[in-house]
Amino acid sequence: MLYIISIVYMYNPEMSNTLNKLTETMPELMSAFGMSNIGNSLIEFLSTYLYGFLLLVLPLVFIIMLANKLMMGYIDNGSMAYLIATPNTRFKIVFTQAFFLVASIFILLTVTTLIAILFSGILFPNELDLSAFLTLNIGLFFLHFAISGYCFLVSCSSKDLRTSYAYSTGIPILFYLIQALSNMGGSLEKLKYFTIYSLFAPEKLMAQNSSSIWMLGALFVIGLLCYMLAIHVFVKRDLHL
Amino acid sequence: MAMIEVNNLTKKFGDFYSVQNVDLQIEKGEVFGFLGPNGAGKSTTIRHLMGFLQPTQGQCFINGLDCRQSTAEIQKFVGYLPGEIAFIDKMTGQQFIKFIAQMRGLNDLTRAHELMQYFELNATGLIKKMSKGMKQKVGLICAFMHNPEIVILDEPTSGLDPLIQTKFIDYILAEKEKGTTIFMSSHMIEEIEKTCDRVAILNAGKIVATEAIADSRCINALYH
Repeated sequence: MLYIISIVYMYNPEMSNTLNKLTETMPELMSAFGMSNIGNSLIEFLSTYLYGFLLLVLPLVFIIMLANKLMMGYIDNGSMAYLIATPNTRFKIVFTQAFFLVASIFILLTVTTLIAILFSGILFPNELDLSAFLTLNIGLFFLHFAISGYCFLVSCSSKDLRTSYAYSTGIPILFYLIQALSNMGGSLEKLKYFTIYSLFAPEKLMAQNSSSIWMLGALFVIGLLCYMLAIHVFVKRDLHL
Repeated sequence: MAMIEVNNLTKKFGDFYSVQNVDLQIEKGEVFGFLGPNGAGKSTTIRHLMGFLQPTQGQCFINGLDCRQSTAEIQKFVGYLPGEIAFIDKMTGQQFIKFIAQMRGLNDLTRAHELMQYFELNATGLIKKMSKGMKQKVGLICAFMHNPEIVILDEPTSGLDPLIQTKFIDYILAEKEKGTTIFMSSHMIEEIEKTCDRVAILNAGKIVATEAIADSRCINALYH
């Protein structure tokens, strides 16, 4: 909860800043695209500014910290011994933690989405394409679901907290850097096949075209497999408590 | 039937045998001591009993239930004190005890309060700020507060001052009167001598001897 609040808190001023900036840029956009396209412009603006970086990286930090704390934190410091020494199965313990992680991400993204809709509504009534914006956020949730699955898997299977942090931080950041490189275009564009972030394509999601559906499906399957594997690993593994 | 049964337990980490062919039978109402130097494999054996580790070979049973398959079922009537003192640091002692009680589905905390009084523990402070001995007391309360039939203690007196150690020995004797089966590891012969009916000595992962405590003279000879 504390993480959510702090992150939403961090996020809030950023949000209004972007919207303030939007006010400044609005006249130019209006002249460039005409009145009819303003709805698209707002969502496009949001998608570039928020969904290209901020809403990818901040939830990632949140996920990494929470995923590591929820499992490896207790295993590494040994307090997991007390939890397993109660009449609860390992499956129940790990499932509860996994559920909490997914629910936290869901709440975090719901709150950010609601804030974005609310602020857009107050500052620029009727300019946000709501259904496209919601699809975009559902896509974002699936992306973070997949990444959190990976982090949770690492958290369940590592031998200590350090290794766990290293792998759960390293790989997503590597993916993000590859994504950034491939965005630069040219011959680097092929790199997009080597990063999970390619499965989250804001423009496709907003257009709600069919390829975005299987991309969401792929993210969901990746996430689900990771969570299932994580639970399996934790139930079977040796614990040196 | 033996309450705690360890059959031919072997655990290998890489090429290293942590325990090798360990056999133990502990009867109902018995207080059983587990002696051995550091690194002999006492804690590893206990971790198998708690279902933390998968044996390379052999099985462990508590009350006829396989320790690896029925771990949660077993915990209903077992109390456990881990060898390593570790809690959720952000909680106070009382919060932690209450939390563990809730995890056990235990609503009645009278026993926990009695124990806190007996062991002279003021658990209102943050666990993080507690001394080693205080943390050990919190662990002991968590192990005993649900009146378990079987108690597994991994070096229960480490960190306790001599006065509380004596109280602990009295407490174990009282539990023995009640018919509780107790399995405790230690590297201190005195507390084992005063409390236990039988004792097993472990060295380098192997059982060197299992004797009734009456023969503790020869145990002393073996151990040193």
